This record gives sequence, C-alpha cells and structure tokens, in this order.
Amino acid sequence: ISTSPFGRFQVILLLLAFVQSVLVVGWCFTEMEAGPGAAMSTQTNGDRFKIEGRAIVPGVKTQDWVSTARVLVDGEEHVGFLRTDGSFAVNDVPSGSYVVEVVTPTYRFEAVRVDITSKGKMRYARLVNYIKTSEVIRQPYPLQIRSSGPHSYFMKRETWGWTDFLMNPMVMMMVLPLLIIVLLPKVVNTNDPEMRKEMEQSMNMLNPNPELPDVSELMTKLFSGSKGSSKAGSSSKGTRPAAKRR
Amino acid sequence: MAELILLWLKCIILYNAVDAVFEDQVGKFDWRQQYVGKVRFSHFDTHVQSSKKVIVATENNVFAALNTRTGELFWRHVDKSGPEGNIDALLHHGQDAILVVGNGRLLRSWDVNVGGLNWEIVLDSGSFQKACLVGQQGTVKHVAVLKKNIISLHYLSNGHQKWIENLPDSETVDYQTVYSGGNGEVYALGIVPHSHIVIIAYSTDDGEIIKQISVEAPWLSNIVASCAVIGQGVLICVDSATPSLYMYNLNPNMDDLQMTQIPLQSLGLEVAPDFQPVLVSHQPNSAHQPLSEFFLQLGPDNFLLLQFNNGQIVTLRDFKPALLVSFATTGEKTIAAVMSPKNKTACSINLFSAETGRRLLDTTLIFVMDPNGGKPEKIYIQPFLKKDDSVGYRAMVQTEDHTLTFIQQPGRVMWIREEALSDVVTMEMVDLPLTGTQAELEGEFGKKADGLMSMVFKRLSSQLILLQAWISHLWKLFYDARKPRSQVKNEVTIENLSRDEFNLQKMMVMVTASGKLFGIDSKTGSILWRHYLNDVPSNAAFKLMVQRTTAHFPHPPQCTLLIKDKDTGLTTLHVFNPIFGKKSHVTPPALPQPILQSLLLPLMDQDYAKVLLLVDDQYKVSAFPSTKNVLQQLQEMASSIFFYLVDSSQGRLSGYRLRTDLSTEQIWEVVIPMEIQRIVSVKGKRPNEHVHSQGRVMGDRSVLYKYLNPNLLAVVTESTDTHQERSFVGIILIDGVTGRIIHEAVQRKARGPVHIVHSENWVVYEYWSTKSRRNEFSVIELYEGMELYNSTVFSSLDRPHAPQVLQQSYIFPSAISTMEATLTEKGITSRHLLIGLPSGGILSLPKMFLDPRRPEIVSEQSREENLIPYAPELMIRTEWFINYNQSISRVRGIHTSPSGLESTCLVVAYGLDIYQTRVYPSKQFDVLKDDYDYMLISSVLLALFFATMISKRLAEVKLLNRAWR
Repeated sequence: ISTSPFGRFQVILLLLAFVQSVLVVGWCFTEMEAGPGAAMSTQTNGDRFKIEGRAIVPGVKTQDWVSTARVLVDGEEHVGFLRTDGSFAVNDVPSGSYVVEVVTPTYRFEAVRVDITSKGKMRYARLVNYIKTSEVIRQPYPLQIRSSGPHSYFMKRETWGWTDFLMNPMVMMMVLPLLIIVLLPKVVNTNDPEMRKEMEQSMNMLNPNPELPDVSELMTKLFSGSKGSSKAGSSSKGTRPAAKRR
Repeated sequence: MAELILLWLKCIILYNAVDAVFEDQVGKFDWRQQYVGKVRFSHFDTHVQSSKKVIVATENNVFAALNTRTGELFWRHVDKSGPEGNIDALLHHGQDAILVVGNGRLLRSWDVNVGGLNWEIVLDSGSFQKACLVGQQGTVKHVAVLKKNIISLHYLSNGHQKWIENLPDSETVDYQTVYSGGNGEVYALGIVPHSHIVIIAYSTDDGEIIKQISVEAPWLSNIVASCAVIGQGVLICVDSATPSLYMYNLNPNMDDLQMTQIPLQSLGLEVAPDFQPVLVSHQPNSAHQPLSEFFLQLGPDNFLLLQFNNGQIVTLRDFKPALLVSFATTGEKTIAAVMSPKNKTACSINLFSAETGRRLLDTTLIFVMDPNGGKPEKIYIQPFLKKDDSVGYRAMVQTEDHTLTFIQQPGRVMWIREEALSDVVTMEMVDLPLTGTQAELEGEFGKKADGLMSMVFKRLSSQLILLQAWISHLWKLFYDARKPRSQVKNEVTIENLSRDEFNLQKMMVMVTASGKLFGIDSKTGSILWRHYLNDVPSNAAFKLMVQRTTAHFPHPPQCTLLIKDKDTGLTTLHVFNPIFGKKSHVTPPALPQPILQSLLLPLMDQDYAKVLLLVDDQYKVSAFPSTKNVLQQLQEMASSIFFYLVDSSQGRLSGYRLRTDLSTEQIWEVVIPMEIQRIVSVKGKRPNEHVHSQGRVMGDRSVLYKYLNPNLLAVVTESTDTHQERSFVGIILIDGVTGRIIHEAVQRKARGPVHIVHSENWVVYEYWSTKSRRNEFSVIELYEGMELYNSTVFSSLDRPHAPQVLQQSYIFPSAISTMEATLTEKGITSRHLLIGLPSGGILSLPKMFLDPRRPEIVSEQSREENLIPYAPELMIRTEWFINYNQSISRVRGIHTSPSGLESTCLVVAYGLDIYQTRVYPSKQFDVLKDDYDYMLISSVLLALFFATMISKRLAEVKLLNRAWR
C-alpha cells in the first residue's frame, strides 16, 4: 500500500501552515503603531507656555466626540479642552518635559512627549518611550494627533459553531488523514499499473530534484547506520515503520 | 527568534487568561452615576424656547449641561481640581457660555449646544474681581473683565482683546465691580473703605476714560455686599447703621459728589437687629438697563419688593415670612419668585409680577422638604409663556446638603440630583439582613440540640417553609409572566431588601464631605436612605466602622461614624443603623478631649457589638460600648492590646500598650528626622483580609513561606528637599507591636504622590521617577524562607528571624489616581490591583505582573512556577478596564468588598462619579458562566445517547448476522 507518502505530505503541509500562523502572530506584535505627534506653536506668556495641537478622528464629525474629550498633560497636572474644530491649546504650562495625551472614552490616541526648554522657546514633540527616555523620534512639524481607531474594551465571546470545530487544526489533523486512509484505497485502484505510474509521476513533481534523497529516508539511513542494523532509536520511530512498509 | 516567538505565545496565553468584560455584559452587573458637585452658578438655556438645558458651574470645577426633563447630563467638562480650575464667573449669552477660570487666569467660551470649546484665552495676571457682558445698540458683542488693577474688553466671537486699561490708583482703591447698561459705556466701581467710591466710565469703543469721579461714602465698606445697580443706571447702596438707602446716578456727565440718602424709616421700614441688609437686582438682557424693581432683604425671613420711580422709592410688596427670592424673565415678562415656608415640612413658591408686585394666579408650587435633608439655599426659576400668554414655570431648588430638586407645578418632583455624592469621603459595604424565612432556617443550625424528635420536627418544618417559599415564587413568576413586561416592576425598597443567594447585593453606606450619609443598593444604584448631619464642620475627617453586622438577628446592625474636626481634634460619634439609616437609640459617649486614634477591637459585648477604643490626647482610653462586660473583657485582654500613634508634624511614630486600668504606656518610638523627610502615609493591612495559602510552591517542589505579619505597617516618607536630583521616596516596614523595623527601602530621584497597597506579604507602591520622568511601580514581598518558625500562631514578640525581602520595579505608562487590591471571601482567588487612571479608566492589573520573582532569564523552574519573564514596562490594555467606556472622573477611592462567592469581588469606585461592578480575578470558577451553553451540552448528551443506542442495535444485528454465517 502506498498511502504513507500522502499522509506524510499532509502532515508537512499542516506543519507549514502552523509555522506560518505563528509568524503572523509574531508580526502582529512587532508592528508598532506609528502615531504622529502634536503640532506646537511658540507663544510665551511670562514663564508660562502653551501647548497647541489638533486631534483628528478620521471619518467622525468633531461635534460627536469633542464634548467627551480632554487633553491631559502629565496625568491631570494640566488640563485642556478641545475646540469644536478639534484643535486644542493647553495654557499656563511651565517649561519642562511633558506627556500630552488626548483622552476620550471612545477613541484611542497616541501619547506624545513635548519638551519646553526653560530659556529658549524651542520645543519639540516626540513619541513617548518610557524605556529609552533619551531617545528622540522627532515628530514632523507641524503635525496633528490622529486617532488610531476606537478603543477595544470587550473580549469576544467564544461562540461554538460547526465551522470552528471543523477548522480546528487538531481536528483537521485527525480527520483528514483518517479520511485518506479509509477512502483512498477504495477510490483509487492501486492494483492498476497505469494508476501506479501516474502516482509516481505526481510524486516526482512534488520532489523537484530527483537526485536529492528524501529527507526522512536520509534520516532513517543515518540513524540506522549509526546504530548498525540494530533496532532504530526512539527519534526515528515515527518514520521507520513507513519506510519499512514501503 | 524561536525564544521570542515562545515568549509571545506565552504572553498571548497569559493575556487570554485575564478576565475582561464581554460586550453583552454591559450594564448587567455594573452601573455608573455621574455628578457635577455643589452648584455655584446656574443658568437656564433660554435662547431656544424648547431648550431642555440648564447649564451649571460647580465648586468642583465642573461645567456641565443638565437635561431639565430627566436630570441627566448632556455633557460635562471636568477641569483641573484645586484653585487653578476654580470657576470664578459664568456669563451666558445666546448659545455661548463665558467662563472665567483660575482666579481670572483664563477666559473660555463654550458652545452650549455641542459642549465644545469656542475659544480660550489667557488673561493678564491679577486677582479677578468681576466680569460682565457689554452690549451696545441692543446687541451683546463684548465681555468686560475687571481685575485688581486692570480692566479689559474682549470680543465674544473670538475672545480677542479689544482694549485693556490700567485702573488709576489701584494701590489705594479697591475696584470691586463692573457694570454696563448698554449705552456704550463701561463703569468700573471701586472703593476706599469708609471714605469714598471711585466711579470710572470707560468708552466701549476704545477704552478711553470718559469721566472719573469720587463720591463720598464714609459708611460703606464693600460695594458687592451692599450695593446694586437698578433702573437707568442708578447705583443703590444700603447702610445698616443709619439705616438708609443711598442712591447715585451713573451717567457720562455725572458731577454730584454726594449720594442721595433715603432713610428707611421714611419708607416705613425697619431692619432686623444685627442683620446686614442685602439688595437683589436683575438685568434681563445685558444690552439693556436693569429693572427698576429690586428686592431688599431686611431680615432672615423678610424681603421687600421695591420700585425706583422718578427718584422715589415705592414699596410694591412686603414678603414676610419669605426664605428665598429670585427674578426670572421670559420674553418681555419678568417675574419675581418668592419661596415662603408653608409648614414644617413644606415650602410654597409663588410668582409675582415684577412691575406691579401683584400675585400671578395659579402659580403656587409646593416644595416638600426632605426631613433627612437640608434647608433650601437657592432657587432657580425657569419661566415660560403658555399658549394663553400666562406664565408657567419650573423651579430648581438647591438645598444645604447640595441636593438639586427640579419641580414642576403643582409640586411634582421631576428629578433629584444628590450632588453630595460627588464628594464621597469613605464608605463601607454592609450585608443585607436575612428575610424571616432565611433567619428561621439559619436558626435551626444555630441553636443547641434539644432531643431527636424536636430536631426532626424542626427540620421538617423548615423544609416545609422552603417548599412554601418556592411555590409562592413560582406563582409570582407565573403571575408576572401574564402581565405585560412594562408593568412588572422589581423596585427595591427598604421593606423588601434581603440578602440574595450569593450575597452579591449589599448596602453601600457612603459618607460625603458635606455630612450627608447615603444608603445605596449595590445592585441597582438606587438611593434607599439618606441622612443629613447638619452640624458637621467643613473640614471634618470621617471614619466609618461597622460595629455590628447583620449576622446577629434580633440585634439591629450598627455603624459608627467618627467625625473629627481637623483643627481642634474634637470628635463626635454618630451611631446609626446602616440598613435603614436611622439614628440608633444607643447614646454615644461625650468626648470632651481631642481624639488621636480609634481602634475597632475584635472583642464583642454581650449584644455582639464590637468594641471601639478611643485614645484621647492625654493617652487615656475610653471604650464604646462601655458596659461592665466589656470593661471586664478589656481588663483580661489588656496585655495583648497594642496601638500606634503617628505624629506626622513631628515625624514621630510611637507604640503603646494598654494597661488594665485603661491607661497606656509607651513601649516604642521611632523618630524620622523632619529636616530630611516627612511621613506621608501609614498603611496597615485590611482587618477582614484572608490569606489562603501560607507559602508558594517553587519549581523544585519546595515551599517558600510567606511572612504574614498582621501587625505590619508600611510607612511612606518623602524627602523635604524637592530638587529632582536629591529628592527620594522611602518605605519603612515597621512591626506595629514591637516597633521593630523589618525593612527599609529608598527610591532615589523619585517623588510623590505615592500610592500604596499593603496586603498579604506584599507592598506595592507607585511614585514618580524624576530622573527618567516616568511613573514607576515597585513591589516588595516578604518571605520567611523555606521553613516556618511557628506555623500555628503568629506573634510579633516571638519572631527571631528577619524575613527575606524581594523587590522589583517596573515602568508604568500613565499617572495614577488611586489604587486598591481585590478582596475575596477566603483569599483563594488570585489578586488583582485595581488602578484608577486620570483618563477615567479603572485598570485591573493582575498581581502576577508585579512579582519580584519574575526572572530575567527563563528557566525550567520558573516556567514550572508560571512566572512571567521580567519585562520593564507594564502594559495598559483597554480590555483590562473593568469599566469599559464608562469612565469615572477624578477617581479618589476604590472600595473592594468580598461577596459570598469566592470568585467574585465587589468593586465601588468613587470620585466625581460612582461606579459599581463585580470582578472575577480568576474567572468564575465556582459558578456556571452566564454564557454557559446549555443547548450545546444537552444536544451533545442527547446525540451521544442516541449514538450509543443505534450503535448497540447495529452491533446486535452484526453479531446476529455473524452467528448465522
């Protein structure tokens, strides 16, 4: 019976799919949200300064969200409010380094660090980095704080459906080989020599270089070689019976 | 890379293990109430006839619009707390509201409809005096702001300054008010007390001084308190000494140097002794002159409606007794509303025509005063014209206890807002009492056995009672199901309050800064009782203690509120029933001496009330209740009663021991040098906290025992030097019995405010790192080691080994407002920290992330222990917000309370708002989840059942066939 190459192929495919999914997850986590910063303007007022900017929620009218929004500078140290066009100004801020956040219960905004120097009027905005505090990623000037979408507060309920159950990799891994083992010998007449030839051809297509030996076969040879003709080690347990059967 | 992926995977798994809110649970177990605080200014939005808004500015620096139909908020803006966000003035014109904020620092204009800011400008420095709208030719385009030394005029449309002028002689003259009658002039009125008034007329166009004049007024000391402008710009002042009215005509070519005097006697009026008369005038439209009619208050309950007519003053009507008066305008009509006492429990409000003083028909409105509330303080009238051109109105009454009541004719209360709840100081959650049936059942187990037969009968009878209750419950369900859903009401009242199956519903007893106490049902948030204590000093500190719970059935539960005047230290006790809010008939002891410390002992008197010990400034101890039984118990126990005192002004911590004669002796003292650092807070453990496991199982199967000292105190100090290079935060762990310093930790280059949670064997605190300019968390955990010294009982006096101390710090990406740890019945459930953020969210952070044993390098053992690899930054995930988008402004405190279910902890967050919810730190492991899929499990069971039946049948057939073959 020549079911084993198909079964193995299936397993490898599944493995590949699994690795890919892991990579996707990893990629999701490495993707940092690149948020723009706040626009600054310099206007002195004694030794007190002003932090100005503009917040934008793409696709939403400002009237719908400005009444619930606030601008917090270093927690609640200084508070600013948003104008009806989304712009804001936090007045009366002494020189120093501040974290400026736009806070609304519905939309998410990135925090921005703003530095106001004590003598010069130079000030700049940068992304907040609490770990490398000296690192400066300048925000283009002038710029606006753009919302990166609504807050996600809720967990998804685990709903149960037939598709979820069937698409589960474990179930697929169990069911598909089972189907193949049970159904293939019935569908394909393996005693037919033409069919056998066709199958061999398709196997060759999968294996682009016929000179290159099959990995599993190589492994079997390697392990069985090292231990002589004695029983195979535990590591080759899985592949050995298949090779033997062939 | 592979390790990273593993780490990520692990993180994902861990994050998924953390519980969060599901979308369908919104509002199911939680509720929020939003408040604004005590109203300082209020205006009805009148520019649209159908407007339902009333705008309020409050003493909590909140500016909001309320719905007059429901009392709910349209929008609310919460400014910085403290004097910098203080709202000095509110002017209202059309759909703009002008606010002067922070002692005249900022001028803001708000759009009342949207709730958005139109503009905000910074004003020149100077202490704010008064602001007014300035109209010209019938339209209002400017706002004038008067400060101590300058006057400025700003455009209403964009806030730009039109002109600014220095006030002449501002060092000697105290400029107090500004007035504009819509004629193109702005008058600044100043005073040199007991000498003369200075009147300056400015031109609205360019700020030029048109006229400046000094008018003699040696009897006057304050313009704001005793003067008003009426009619065609007549300044009218009242002098209580003479007693008489003085008048002066404000116009561009004024040249009189004297005020016209009209003795009150000539009008036939008399001032109540020792009363400073008050004038109330009304300017319906800033572009026009004020009314010629005004109120004169001559006594605490005596008002007069007077009219100024051609230089003469006419009395239109005398109101006596009258409590409050108010003017209001709708269309062209101006009315005067007068509130007068009707009887002991009710007041009536009547409307009078302002021009004639005639009473308007059908305008009586009855305001029923809450016997547990305060007296009325202010009334705001919203008049409207009915179809037949008569005047109808609604009234908003503000009482001493900060309550707003909105009433409609003839006395229907539309809504009540308990604004005292915006300032909750402390709270407790009290179990609800058992119902009669429940108590009967409990009684069966409580009593001693008295014979087999009687026990059997008792059991049978209690089962019968249960059956009866169940049947009546079923009947009620059936009966309710037939009725339409809208009619079925499950209103909670004091009468039908009873404990639920899992003790999830409790009574929240809340103490507010105004001295009003509330009893709130934790399930629905409805206020079940309220009680106003009217003799509470304004700077009082409160401590609420539950002396007797509801568990001792015939005895009512008992709470004691300790009210201490912070200045004098004098203390009063208020003893009440927490379920009904009624004052207890138990008389609390009179306390003539200032009280330093109070302790609630686990001792109980014969009526199951816990004993409260009060230590006065002579270090004498008094007990409440102080029956013979209690005193005897105290004498026996005295040698094991210790207490500590903190004197933060001298940096001294001292420990005392009780003697049998109820005097005390000092046994230890720790002095923290005041020159270097000061004590910020001292935190012990919560007395009702349970710790389930005494140790932690390590990766190698050995046990690391926790150092569980119930007497441990965490003392937080801050350096007096605030320079960012030299400032530090210190944590000292002291044993409260022996005074032994267990551990000391110092965080250099750090400053407060420090938030601290002390529980089990750990202390978590948060501070500001001045070096890295970020908030940091630090956790200290104490362990006894691999062996327990005395596993049966902990004694502070017998602990020879110092505990092992582990500490780790983390970065937290936000400032925090307050912090508390979850608490459950038996302490089996894992702990979470509940962190109130300035953004209004309450973050539930697993304590697992704050574990000093988090390894930097992952090993097999740490993986076995489920330790998360160390990462410097803690994350804030919005999925961990227990209050999703129901943000809570200015969270000041979080109260956690265990429920009857081990998995569930009840949480109340209070600040400007109140939010109640339940949290499940380890998920709901002891009950079926609310999304439990009954359908799935039953269908699977059925399917399996049928599958076995069928396969059994098939197998039989097969066997039979084989046998035949």
